[in-house]
Amino acid sequence: MKIVLIEDNDSLRQELTIFLSRYGYDVKVPDDFCNIVEFVLEETAHLILLDINLPYYDGNYVCRELRKASSVPIIIITSRDSEADELMSINMGADDFVTKPFNTQILLARISALLKRAYNNDISMIEWKDLKLDTSKGVAVYGKGEIELTRNEIKILHLLMKNKDTIVTRETVMNELWQSDEFVDDNTLTVNINRLRKKLEQSGAIDYIKTKRGIGYMV
Amino acid sequence: MKFRSFVKDKSFFLLGNILLLLFIVLMLSVMGINLYGSLFIVFIYIVTNASVFIHEFFRKQSYYNRLLSILKELDKRYLISELAEEPGFAEGQILYDVLKITNKSMNDEIAVYQRASKEYRDYIETWIHEIKTPIAAAKLMIENNRTDVLTSIENEIDNIEYYVEQTLYYAKSSNTEKDYIIKKVNLKDIVYSAVKKNSKLIIENRIELKIEEIEKIVYTDSKWTDFIINQILFNAVKYKAEAPKIIFHTEETENKVSLMISDNGIGICENDLGRVFDKGFTGENGRRYGKSTGIGLYLCKKLCDTLGMNISIRSETGKGTTVILIFPKNNMITMEP
Repeated sequence: MKIVLIEDNDSLRQELTIFLSRYGYDVKVPDDFCNIVEFVLEETAHLILLDINLPYYDGNYVCRELRKASSVPIIIITSRDSEADELMSINMGADDFVTKPFNTQILLARISALLKRAYNNDISMIEWKDLKLDTSKGVAVYGKGEIELTRNEIKILHLLMKNKDTIVTRETVMNELWQSDEFVDDNTLTVNINRLRKKLEQSGAIDYIKTKRGIGYMV
Repeated sequence: MKFRSFVKDKSFFLLGNILLLLFIVLMLSVMGINLYGSLFIVFIYIVTNASVFIHEFFRKQSYYNRLLSILKELDKRYLISELAEEPGFAEGQILYDVLKITNKSMNDEIAVYQRASKEYRDYIETWIHEIKTPIAAAKLMIENNRTDVLTSIENEIDNIEYYVEQTLYYAKSSNTEKDYIIKKVNLKDIVYSAVKKNSKLIIENRIELKIEEIEKIVYTDSKWTDFIINQILFNAVKYKAEAPKIIFHTEETENKVSLMISDNGIGICENDLGRVFDKGFTGENGRRYGKSTGIGLYLCKKLCDTLGMNISIRSETGKGTTVILIFPKNNMITMEP
């Protein structure tokens, strides 16, 4: 999936590129803001992240110009955060609006939601150590056994598999669940993890999720 | 204007007239005109002069009395120069011109300060929007190269972000231009967004969060309300006690929705409770725990006033604090039929 990132602040651009690349996106960054619209149209990106305060042209203008020629999903990233600014951007044809400094998980979620809606593509499959997770169907497959999972369990497993081979702290897991309106507490998380483990064990994936005592979990 | 003070004002004129009259009488008697003749002349002289004198008094009296009564009825006294009528006599005209000139000069002076204050506010707002980019960049750098030290730095950056946000709303709150939009929103969306924004803070402080029944439609600006809830949450975390807990709860009556945000923190002592919304008031807790600016709740109150909402606080030392936000249910606010 190709994302064009239009942002004039160097360090933010660089860090956002690293960050998005890590999650498997192909990020293109223009550094000539004079012919920005042409650049974007030539790149045929799947999604555009657009800042409002740009040299030469204002982001809202760029957004309107792009809309004349393309229906590519556009997410506005700006530090202006009033309702009026948001309304203005949406009126110019933007699909979503994220304010700086953004929560990276929220940004990722918005990007993937928008991509899913626009291209109906199936990036919901993830595989690691013989376990396949299909987030859209809500099942995990290990060997021949299909494991039905709840919403929280999918989220937890997905997060762990995305960060395979690294320890994910309990706080991170909770934070991730919170971002989708599941305000679980410490105990609920333990219960969720234990239930998930039991389900995995029943289909043969024994000790798939490892506990790092006092830190978190890892697959 | 009193007749006596008018006479007193004219005492020289009157004295001169009396002397003149005596002189005329003396002259007339020297010239051999008989008593009746001189009395007649004196009589005519007095009648003419007195009527001119009285006419002048009434003219001035009516003008100044009108001016004073206008002044009395005005709630903004400085507008008097706009409403004063032009007098038909010389000294009144001087007063009138002086009023006009000072008024204009004062208006110019006010305009200078208004411009300065607007420029300052614009600068602050621009600055805040500028600073958000480096904050976002710094947070991403941390995310990309996470270590323990960087995580601690991230917490500090979160604090910076909180104060920056506070500054933004402080600038907004004193802005006379309206930059909020009141519309129909689900209270749940606002609360969820505020909670999510503070998720790290709440999770790391191991706070038990309980959100009860809050699917309520209210009329407000969601960004501003989000900020208000943010401030309240921040306070709840800052002044937490053992086994901290935060509960969101709503109550609905015919004409209002109340959102209650309760914590079981250290509470606010009774003496301080009445003044928590005062600007710069930090109180006992502020002194003991430091890092209090006395701006947060003051701002909440100010923003609530602008949005037509009500904010109040209940607290007991050692037991906890409940902040109550009241959203009026009234179509008048939204201008809907």
